[in-house]
Amino acid sequence: MKMEKVEQLRHYYLRHDKKFPHVWCPGCGNGIILGSLIRAIDKIGLSKDEVVLASGIGCAGRMPVYADFNTLHTTHGRALTFATGIKLARPELNLITVMGDGDATGIGGNHFIHAARRNLNLTAIIINNQIYGMTGGQYSPTTPYGAKAATATGGHLEHAFSIADLAVTAGASFVARGTVYHVPHLDKLIEQGIRKNGFAVIEIMAYCHTQFGRRNKMGDAVTMMEKLRDRAVAVKDPGAAGSPGTAVAAGASDTPGAAASAGALDSDSLDTLDGKFAIGVLTDVEKPDYIAEYARLRAASRLNAQNAGNAGK
Amino acid sequence: MQQDIQILIGGEAGQGLVTIGQLLGKALVRAGREIFASQTYHSRVRGGHNTFAMRVGAGPFAAPRESIDILVALNAETVELHRPQLTKRALIIADAAFAPELPGAIAVPFGELGPEKLWNTAALALLGQVLGLQEQQLYQAVEATLGQKKPELLEENQEIMKKSREWAKAHLPEHDFVLADATATADSTQKRLLLNGNQAIALGALAGGLKFCAFYPMTPSTSVVLELITHAETMGCVIEQAEDEIAAINMAIGAAFAGAPAMVATSGGGFALMAEGISLAAMTETPVLTVVAQRPGPATGMPTRTEQGDLEFVLHAGHGEFPRAILAPGSIEECFTLTARALALTERSQSPVFLLTDQFLADSARPVTPFELNGITPVRPGDDPEKVATPYRRYRLTPDGLSPRLLPGLSEHLVVADSDEHDEDGHLSEDYGLRTAMVKKRLQKLELLKEEVTAPTLEGDQDALLLVCWGSSLGPVREAAAILRDRGLKVGTLHFSQVWPLLPEQFLDLLQKADRVVGVEGNATGQFARLIRRETGFTIAELINRYDGLPFTADFLLERLETQRAETGDR
Repeated sequence: MKMEKVEQLRHYYLRHDKKFPHVWCPGCGNGIILGSLIRAIDKIGLSKDEVVLASGIGCAGRMPVYADFNTLHTTHGRALTFATGIKLARPELNLITVMGDGDATGIGGNHFIHAARRNLNLTAIIINNQIYGMTGGQYSPTTPYGAKAATATGGHLEHAFSIADLAVTAGASFVARGTVYHVPHLDKLIEQGIRKNGFAVIEIMAYCHTQFGRRNKMGDAVTMMEKLRDRAVAVKDPGAAGSPGTAVAAGASDTPGAAASAGALDSDSLDTLDGKFAIGVLTDVEKPDYIAEYARLRAASRLNAQNAGNAGK
Repeated sequence: MQQDIQILIGGEAGQGLVTIGQLLGKALVRAGREIFASQTYHSRVRGGHNTFAMRVGAGPFAAPRESIDILVALNAETVELHRPQLTKRALIIADAAFAPELPGAIAVPFGELGPEKLWNTAALALLGQVLGLQEQQLYQAVEATLGQKKPELLEENQEIMKKSREWAKAHLPEHDFVLADATATADSTQKRLLLNGNQAIALGALAGGLKFCAFYPMTPSTSVVLELITHAETMGCVIEQAEDEIAAINMAIGAAFAGAPAMVATSGGGFALMAEGISLAAMTETPVLTVVAQRPGPATGMPTRTEQGDLEFVLHAGHGEFPRAILAPGSIEECFTLTARALALTERSQSPVFLLTDQFLADSARPVTPFELNGITPVRPGDDPEKVATPYRRYRLTPDGLSPRLLPGLSEHLVVADSDEHDEDGHLSEDYGLRTAMVKKRLQKLELLKEEVTAPTLEGDQDALLLVCWGSSLGPVREAAAILRDRGLKVGTLHFSQVWPLLPEQFLDLLQKADRVVGVEGNATGQFARLIRRETGFTIAELINRYDGLPFTADFLLERLETQRAETGDR
């Protein structure tokens, strides 16, 4: 992307004259994700007024503050419930939620699985940095076994779960995983997620060099970024179009690791500090979203009422 | 004047006792009678001891009676449990197998009348015969319920009803429960609705413009939502069963933010989970109505019984300081009018508003004349984007604390909300001066709420004995007062259908003038009396509390007034 265009997007979509400098640590990947998000929205061609960006609490939750959409910075864990209310009241709006791993799957875990099951047409962006960053490095539901955290000084005793797997099991229509290293790939995944008619989850593997990296001697931001590059393995897109391979080709330097072929990975090793994990579109199924089901039910009951009325005549 | 009749149908869950009660109620209301129906039930689908109580007579009634005139016992346990409540003239309708050796006992050979699954219909017909209802009136109620869907069932039911009536004609003892001919007094052209409190709340909400309700099932609030679902299609109202109450309140706030007048309905335990969301509604200044149908706590408590124990909880729920209003209907009619009013109030003040009711009112049914819709304007959410001052500032600091509220996606203006402290634009801020201004702005809205306070209602005499009550206690308290006045005593009642904010100028002089002030509350500690003292300095020294899980009745109140008078000395 040309610098002029970047500048243009930045001025159009960001509250550039008001809210900067941002709160994120130098080297944080959250800004990269914000960039991906506005590029995806720009590519789709949505106007700012058609988009509602809702978030919970935490570093990820701050994202709406910088973006010039209709925005909601809600309470910890509740972004999806808030978004559900908006979507049910105003189905024509495009709802995007931005959450962290603790926000979405710790305190908000129940809402997350049920939002997936409900299959409303929402996009859930979950930034997984494997730690509660803003509050000082307490372990989260995705902190790997043995990792050190402010509340696990002798190494974490519990095991991490996979957010993407959880989303698939709970019934999300679209589940993808990207990283803050593979940026053009991430742009594409977010775009696909927003375009998807149904509940779409994009888990973004990120890092927190301040709260997680330092405690676990993982090096600086650049080192942690390189680690993401090496750990990620591309899967073949289950849908024909937009496979990570093709998406990534546009920005050659971002090609996911060498083992970029389907089936190269038996399972994700997210419960370790250096195991491999899959990136790309993990699930993409067609099923009627909740609003469509609701409309169908209403149409059916109107028809029944009509028939009953006719029968009475 | 003929004395009213209290009927109690008792048995296990699953024996069809509610069906008997509902059909009898329907037939009586259609015949122009006054009834008051209330239910007690256990938190289980089968078994347990459940009752359906119905008071019939000249009425109108707003409470049950403790004593029983006609006991329909579908099992032996019912006879044993309710024997102490039987009046001298009582009839007991029971199966021959367990009918007691008591005067008034009618041993019915149900086995000879028909198969067991139809015994409840048989009992219904027997009751109809006792009360002197016309055959056709009961049969129409049965037909309307079974409908044309199952003609074979209708036939069986008709047959057992006929047999039962014949048996009754031959075997009923002398009794004085035949209802006086009502055709002369009843205006049969006057349509009436047999409604319980929760149904009236749902109808009031819809009349008030409700477009969204999220909930998680919890007795005794769920039937509010079941009634809403019945009308959701016609009224264009979206109902969502959430994964928990935390989700429910946040969905409602989201919907309200987007422009749908929204409410949640729950009980104490569920409301505990909603406290966080209430605080969010207050901070984002999003209108939301919360219906809390109280039941005895703490914890699971007594899920299907009643109490007025959550007043202080609702008054203080949610962290941080912000204004709110709490309405507490005292009758089926108030359930309707106050719910519509509460919805308007939350929109107008952009502050959380609560409707505090309880299991007693929720499950009590009475015929009411169709509600007056004039004067109820459905809520129109948000402000006109053409009329807001530009640049649009969602949290503009204004003298009355009210800021323009635009809905997202309807104009070029961008709509923002933040649960963090924010500036006038709605963006997170930690500026100390701004924080002070925003707290003041939000609290300023209490003045708006005060302008719209529903004043307490004084009925009867001033200066003598004054019974002070709130919410659902109204019916029994007024009945007790009426009985005392019949005995020649001077008695007044003061009922609060809004318990927050309180305006002392509306009632303090009444408390000060009365000789004897007695607070009546369905809780153990006198929460409302304490609130009055906090706000006015006036101490209501004498309290009547009930917290056994059952509602107040006139009998209970009269007995307590008598004993307490004896204890405190004749004043």
